[in-house]
Order: sequence, then structure tokens, then C-alpha cells
Amino acid sequence: MPPTWKSIDFISDLHLAHDTPRTYSAWAKHMAHTPADAVFILGDLFEAWVGDDSRSTGFENQCVGVLVRAAKHRSLAFMVGNRDFLVGADMLDECGATALPDPTVVLAFGRRWLLSHGDALCLADVDYQSYRAEVRSAAWRERFLSMPLAQRRTIARQLRDASEARKHQLPLHEWADVDADEAVRWMQAADAPVLIHGHTHRPGTNELAPGFVRYVLSDWDLEESPGRAQVLRLDADGLTRVTPSTAAAR
Amino acid sequence: MAKHVLLQTNHGDMKLELDDALAPASVRNFLSYVNNGHYDGTVFHRVIKGFMIQGGGFEPGMKQRPTDAPINNEAANGLKNNRYTVAMARTQVPHSATAQFFINTTDNDFLNFKAESVQGWGYAVFGKVVDGTDVVDGIESVKTGRRGSHDDAPLDDVLIVKATEMA
Repeated sequence: MPPTWKSIDFISDLHLAHDTPRTYSAWAKHMAHTPADAVFILGDLFEAWVGDDSRSTGFENQCVGVLVRAAKHRSLAFMVGNRDFLVGADMLDECGATALPDPTVVLAFGRRWLLSHGDALCLADVDYQSYRAEVRSAAWRERFLSMPLAQRRTIARQLRDASEARKHQLPLHEWADVDADEAVRWMQAADAPVLIHGHTHRPGTNELAPGFVRYVLSDWDLEESPGRAQVLRLDADGLTRVTPSTAAAR
Repeated sequence: MAKHVLLQTNHGDMKLELDDALAPASVRNFLSYVNNGHYDGTVFHRVIKGFMIQGGGFEPGMKQRPTDAPINNEAANGLKNNRYTVAMARTQVPHSATAQFFINTTDNDFLNFKAESVQGWGYAVFGKVVDGTDVVDGIESVKTGRRGSHDDAPLDDVLIVKATEMA
């Protein structure tokens, strides 16, 4: 981390789409007005991403604008999530954002912090893990991205509808939480006593094992009221949850 | 003296204790809806595990019941949106609460009053669940999904059968 930085914002799970205007608006304002020196987006900024060629029109293009303008004033870093895993180099280059592998270790304020979207750690969701292995393969990616854009959008819609329909059929499915033992193994391997992740939509902070703490990022959903949107801010004093910025601080 | 309301649901009963000293307008408003039977037959239409359960506005089938005039936001009363407290739901407009309410299922600090601004007004807590928190936990865990235009809707209706003011 550059020595001049005073704070870093972590956000994830905004699931932005054309039909989430309030959440989009809050995100756009935060990106424009946050006092942080950097914003690290840890996955699922977008509800869906069917390929970087989608970025030139419509809602996706509006989001590019937000990111491009933000990148003029602060550093941006981007990790893909389980919904927007097809965000690629073309998109990140245009937005001026650095790609973050999952997981990533950050050295900031004299300490090491492990960052992950979180889906790879939800080992109990066996069906998801085998699906993940398939769609993150180079072969699947190449095959999918070779389809016309309109077809990819249709498939994405179908996958979303199928996912909704599954909720009706399956027995009660709680958001699978990360496997605590695996998460601790990751932290030990990274020599990082703090893990920051999203994905589960269960914001909170807890110790996974003595000396190993994890912070779960809040999802953002402001379409209904009460809604939820929080930023996790890291500075020299540690991590605090703050409300998204709405205007330039004096 | 605090007021008490019994909420009988198809998941069990909850007893609410209402703070009419710190939230007089909200309690008066809530009791008015209780006593004219407004809540009977409405559902908890929005349930988000780890956040809150919200209801009192819609019949099964998401048909909205008519309400009375909105009330002032009493969120600056010092009561916090902690787990099992009851608060008035509203739109983005600070003083727009009518009949809908929600029960916090965790400590939701970000919903507390911060300032008299659109962003800062927060949500007015006017009571808490004093009996039947296990019923809240049960409702919090129901399967939810998209129903019509509503996200996070219980797939099987969570019904408020009857709401009664207790002596």
C-alpha cells in the first residue's frame, strides 16, 4: 500500500442491474464522494456479467462511467464474484481498475489482510462447487464468450430464473457459510490473521479460531426500505463499518 | 405503563411490549391499526435472514391494505434497532411511516437515527418482542424468493392471524 494512503474502502455484493436504481445511485454517489484513497470491490458488483463487450451500452456503460470517474481521484481494485466472474481485462483496463486474484493478501498499515469473495470457501455447498469448477474453466469461458451477446444475455436470464425456481423445490437452504477450518488454513498460509470476504450476505465479525478473525461485508440492497448498504473502511486504527458517502465531506 | 400486543401468527405467537413513553405517536398509531383489525390477515411479506422481518401491509397475494395518514418519525428517541426490537417501516421519505413495521433480527446500528436528514433519519423503534423470540427466529428462517415484483418474499405465506391489544 502506498505510504500516503489514509484509508481503503471494501465493498461487495451490490448485485447492480438495470432494475436496481436506488442501489446503483447510492453506489455512484459513494464512488464519487468517498474520502478513501482506494476502493476495493470484492465481488458481485454486478448481478450478472455476460462479457466485456456488454460494457459499451446501456446500464453496463453507465457503471463504466462511474468507475472511470472514480479512478481519476482514487485507486480502484476489482475481484470477481460468483455472479460477475466474467469481468475481464478489457473492462478493468477501461475502468482503470487493478484486477485482484481470489484470494489476495494486502499489506496495509503494517499488517496483512486476506481478501476473498468468499464463494470458494463455501465447501458445504457441494453442488455450487462443482458448478463453479465448470464455469471458471478456460474452456467454458471460451465457449460462452464465443456466443453472440444477445444469446449470452438470454442464457444469463434463464440461469437466474432457474436459480429462483430451485428455491421453491429444494429443502430449506441457508446461505452456506464459509468453511471455518478451510478459511483458517487460508489465513495461516497467507500469514494474515484477518480475512475480509462477502458472498454470504450475512454481515458480521467473528473469530473463526483463536487469533483468526473474519469480517463479512454487507450486501447492498436499497430498492426497499429498510434497505442495507455498508462500507468496511480500513485505516490505521483498523476496520470500521461506515455508511456510504453521499456528498463530498468538508 | 408500557402497552402490550399479542401477535398470533401461523408460526406461533409473539408478545410485543410497546414503549409509549419514548415513542408515543408510533405506539398510538400502531395500536390504532391493531384495534381496528388492520393487521389481521396480513403477512410478513419481506424476510431477510440476518437483517429483519417486515409485515403488516399486505394480504396474501400481495394485495396492499389501505392505511391512514403517515406519522412523524420518532427515531431520535434513543431506542436502538437492536435484535428483537420493533420499528416502523417507511419509504425513503423520513416521515412516511403508516402501518408496516419490522422486527430486527440482529443489531442493525445503521438503521439508527443519526441526523435530521433524508440519509440520517433512521427508523423509529417503538417496542420489542418480550415473548416468542423463537417465533421471530422461525419466521426469519423461512424460504424466500421473488414473488411478482417482491424480492425476499416468503414462498409460503407467513400470516398474522390476529393482533390484539392486551390488558
